Amino acid sequence: MIDGLLMVGGGIAAGLFGSLLGLGGGTLIVPILTLGFGLALIKAVGVSLVCVIVTSGAASGVYLERRVANLRLGMTLELFTACGALIGGLVAFLLPERVVQLLFGGLLVYVSLTMVRRREPDPVPDDGESRDGSDRVDGTSAAANAAPSGDDSFVASLSGPGYRVRRLGFGAIGSVGAGVVSALLGIGGGTVKVPVMHVVMGIPLRVATATSNLMMGITASAGAVIYLLRGGIDPYVAGPTAIGVFIGASIGSRAAHRIDVRILRGLFVAILLYTAWQMLQRALA
Amino acid sequence: MTSTGRAPAPPAHAADLERSIARLLTFGTFASMGLLVVGFVLMLANGIGPLSGGPAFDPSTLVPDLVALRPAGFLWLGLIAAVATPAARVLASLVGYVRRGERAMAIVATLILAVIALSLALARGLEG
Repeated sequence: MIDGLLMVGGGIAAGLFGSLLGLGGGTLIVPILTLGFGLALIKAVGVSLVCVIVTSGAASGVYLERRVANLRLGMTLELFTACGALIGGLVAFLLPERVVQLLFGGLLVYVSLTMVRRREPDPVPDDGESRDGSDRVDGTSAAANAAPSGDDSFVASLSGPGYRVRRLGFGAIGSVGAGVVSALLGIGGGTVKVPVMHVVMGIPLRVATATSNLMMGITASAGAVIYLLRGGIDPYVAGPTAIGVFIGASIGSRAAHRIDVRILRGLFVAILLYTAWQMLQRALA
Repeated sequence: MTSTGRAPAPPAHAADLERSIARLLTFGTFASMGLLVVGFVLMLANGIGPLSGGPAFDPSTLVPDLVALRPAGFLWLGLIAAVATPAARVLASLVGYVRRGERAMAIVATLILAVIALSLALARGLEG
């Protein structure tokens, strides 16, 4: 009974941190379940994928209602993330646990470094220009749902107000990679998708984050199906953990504006690095 | 123009589709959470620890488990609802795009569902 409540508590912590820092819960769930509860890595990844789906479902509903997420772009890219997740989900059952631990440790170090270097997000340009100012688009004509006046190509139809989608091919390749990483390590893949969309494809950060969140559901779902049918998800672990993550993410999204995220980020980086050290030690032992 | 990453008011049919999908996602998430909470409460009531090793997914035991108020039934149903919600969202999008005559997006949605189906088929094949 205590273990069940501790799992809910661990889920709340993961969901809270993830929500406050824009990471999703997956990054912490796997270490909590493997290092804290001694669960096999493959089962922890399966449970983490369920948690990613739950947090994505709750958040992307709100993003869609507020029209922040780009549904058409998200659906186009998630075709590729789903393909990647299919590959990752199958590969995960073939790789030795040590290799996955090594990859996860590497991921945690990468996320830590990204967080250390991260600045507060720049405000989204308010003048109809993309980040480099080279793609000025009239929001009324570029909006995905506007009438196809003039530019009616598929890529143009994915664009939104104030930005035009560029380098869709790179976005597709990045999405496949994000899908593989997601299914292999039980994360949402936002650490890959958001930079690809924002930096490479010229999508405003806010839209990229919301769209990535929307995509996580299908990405994690394509991987979770494989884990579910191959015995990679334990319902007794997944239940309390997902409940905790949902509660934590809900609290986090409401408290985000009241908390000084800089202190939290420092603490989180320390936790991630410690966890990475533990994971890498196990992998290399 | 103003551009803050938030879309201007889209045509009514597009906004309707996005609103419907948003509601579907919210409903699916809360439904799965409700089922998981019931399952977890039953776990606690029956003194079942999370590390005791839960039963593997077996569709044939789902209804009997639910009828007998066994935690595994509610937990599995909640997990399936969670995993199926994103696919339901794509299905709803497919219907919406077909109705609006948007062939390209309808094809994208169909392909996503095909990949999910392929995941299912491959996982089942490997299971056997």
